Amino acid sequence: MLKFILGRVGGGLVSIIGASFIAFVFMRLLPGNPARLVLGPLAPNSAIQALRDQMGLNKSIPVQYWDFIWSFVRGHWGYSYTAGASVASQIGSRLPASVEIGIWAFLFAFVFALFGALISTYRRRPLVDGFVRATAFVGMGTPPFWLGLILLVVFFSKLGWLPGPTGRLSAGVNPPAQITGMYTFDALLHGQFSTFWNAFEHLLLPALSLGLGAYALLVRLLRANLLDVSHEAYLLVGRSKGLSRFTVFRRHALPNAFLPTLTASGLLLAQLLTGTVLVEKVFDWPGVGGLVADSIERQDFSVVQVFILLSACLYVVVNILVDILHGVLDPRIKLARSAA
Amino acid sequence: MSDVSDVSGVSEARSSPQPVTGATDDGVVLSVRDLVAVFDGGRRRPPVQAVRSISFDLHRGERLGLVGESGSGKSATALAILGLLDPPGRVLGGTVMLNGRDLRTLGDRAMQKIRGKEISLVYQDPMSALDPVKTIGYQLIEVIRAHDHSISRAAARRRAAELLTDVDVSQADRRLDDYPHQYSGGMRQRVMIAVALANNPDVIVADEPTTALDVTTQAQVLSLLDRLATDRGSAILLITHNLGVVAGFCDSVRVMYAGRLVEGASTRALFKLRAHPYSDALLRSAPRADRIISGPLPAIPGAPPDLAALGPGCAFEPRCPVGHGRELCRTTAPPVHTLPDPAGGERHTECHFAEEQIELAAAS
Repeated sequence: MLKFILGRVGGGLVSIIGASFIAFVFMRLLPGNPARLVLGPLAPNSAIQALRDQMGLNKSIPVQYWDFIWSFVRGHWGYSYTAGASVASQIGSRLPASVEIGIWAFLFAFVFALFGALISTYRRRPLVDGFVRATAFVGMGTPPFWLGLILLVVFFSKLGWLPGPTGRLSAGVNPPAQITGMYTFDALLHGQFSTFWNAFEHLLLPALSLGLGAYALLVRLLRANLLDVSHEAYLLVGRSKGLSRFTVFRRHALPNAFLPTLTASGLLLAQLLTGTVLVEKVFDWPGVGGLVADSIERQDFSVVQVFILLSACLYVVVNILVDILHGVLDPRIKLARSAA
Repeated sequence: MSDVSDVSGVSEARSSPQPVTGATDDGVVLSVRDLVAVFDGGRRRPPVQAVRSISFDLHRGERLGLVGESGSGKSATALAILGLLDPPGRVLGGTVMLNGRDLRTLGDRAMQKIRGKEISLVYQDPMSALDPVKTIGYQLIEVIRAHDHSISRAAARRRAAELLTDVDVSQADRRLDDYPHQYSGGMRQRVMIAVALANNPDVIVADEPTTALDVTTQAQVLSLLDRLATDRGSAILLITHNLGVVAGFCDSVRVMYAGRLVEGASTRALFKLRAHPYSDALLRSAPRADRIISGPLPAIPGAPPDLAALGPGCAFEPRCPVGHGRELCRTTAPPVHTLPDPAGGERHTECHFAEEQIELAAAS
């Protein structure tokens, strides 16, 4: 087991190093002079040179790369001149907001996909199945930002049931003391249920918009896998033992159908956690996606580089966790591994 | 699951009300009457008539073989008896009396209490009959606890280990924690037998239990099934296409063709003389160790009929060496002929020209 995990971590490190190369080289290839951008068109050349020295831009490329990696590892993520704040503090204040709607979006997608796949295959009613497949089809084709706008029009403008695009909490509600930086979870940890509810109302629409695509993919996968499994003899045998149809479904069909969707679930989770620009824009959500978009616009590579590396790390970590989970859930994988 | 259509014309002797529990007086534990099952073919196509009104009795402790080629309706019969025929399959009529109760009239809940306890299934393919992600122990304990809610986990586990020991799996307690892929095919089928026998059922439906196994393992598994069923007084309905298995295992045989039981007799009587041309052809086309045949094995010419488009006559007529082309066979379904069975009781055959067939069979 340990050998397996170390192998996966090693493979992950290679991926991260690859991502760091791309991040570094790509940002250096972009046209424009960052020092000039910071100081403005009227700054004297001597000041530009001084700033380039300070930013390390006059060193050789390998040295710059090494500096970049080494300071990333130590948590010195640099200073964003355009924003006037350290990259760490900027990402630190924005990332929890993105991770929070990412987690909720994933939860919604996962729960709805499980439910949808269940009702569409359990009794095989063509009408129910057709409806679930239609939702998946629509979900695949609907741009999340557009869905966000529609949801806002309906639930905020017309019905007034949910708050509008005003960030993470209503005015006058204080955020809970920071533990994770995610308001819903922090509020729960502090037992502040009204704050939790307020935060939840704010993230409901963006999380739903973000989660729809993931739902569509998951429900299709899970439904197909459940149909595959439904022909397996062990379900018939389970019922011949005197188990109810539902018990057999829960104990034998679902675990077997779920295994192949695990990898896709992991990738979707990683994707959702790293934030999306358009949904954040629509809901004025202070997430990391907006920050990265702004930074690219301002040619502020310090932020973009760190973001690319962080998302690479996230993907790698999620994938390793999925692999480990696979090994825990599927006994056949364990055997293959110990035999290898 | 299926509509309980009242099937009239059940003119058998057992019209008197049966006791609710326990075997009937004549030792019949399972009594199937006029069972009809179809597979719906969709909107455009007529249903496939898989089981066309069959009747038979299974006595306490009996070994009854149900023989026929693929697609003759054997497995549909097994599933219909257990109430596990899923759509597009459907039971249209008939009664399935187990210990005096008609299983066809029972609801899901009542059937769950009976399946795995009074009647159980040994499935044909041991490689797919066990859930690959659950341990052997889990799958054994599951059938024990399904019918004994008060049993503790530890006691159920001990019982599961006993069952594994019964089916000759060594180091049973340790091997409970193994997964199906760590067992060989023969061992898995023995686990299936342990599952089927766990609650000492009155009837075991064994659907091709040895088809997927190699020959030596087949013999082991069958003798194990026989021994354990005898210990428990369980009757076995053995569904197979293998006449060698029938010869060594069964007390009596029913031959199934195109959804009908065309011949029924004691095993000894049937192997001595076939009163139906199909059974005769089936036996002749089976390879036998004690009979060296020169040239190719005789095969039954033609193919089984399309069960969605059966004519009014005998379903075997197009392939029949006796009745092919005869007007009567083409137009009229054969009635049941009853003959004395040398092993005692009666034997049945559904053939217009049973006497002719018997003469032919006796002459060869």
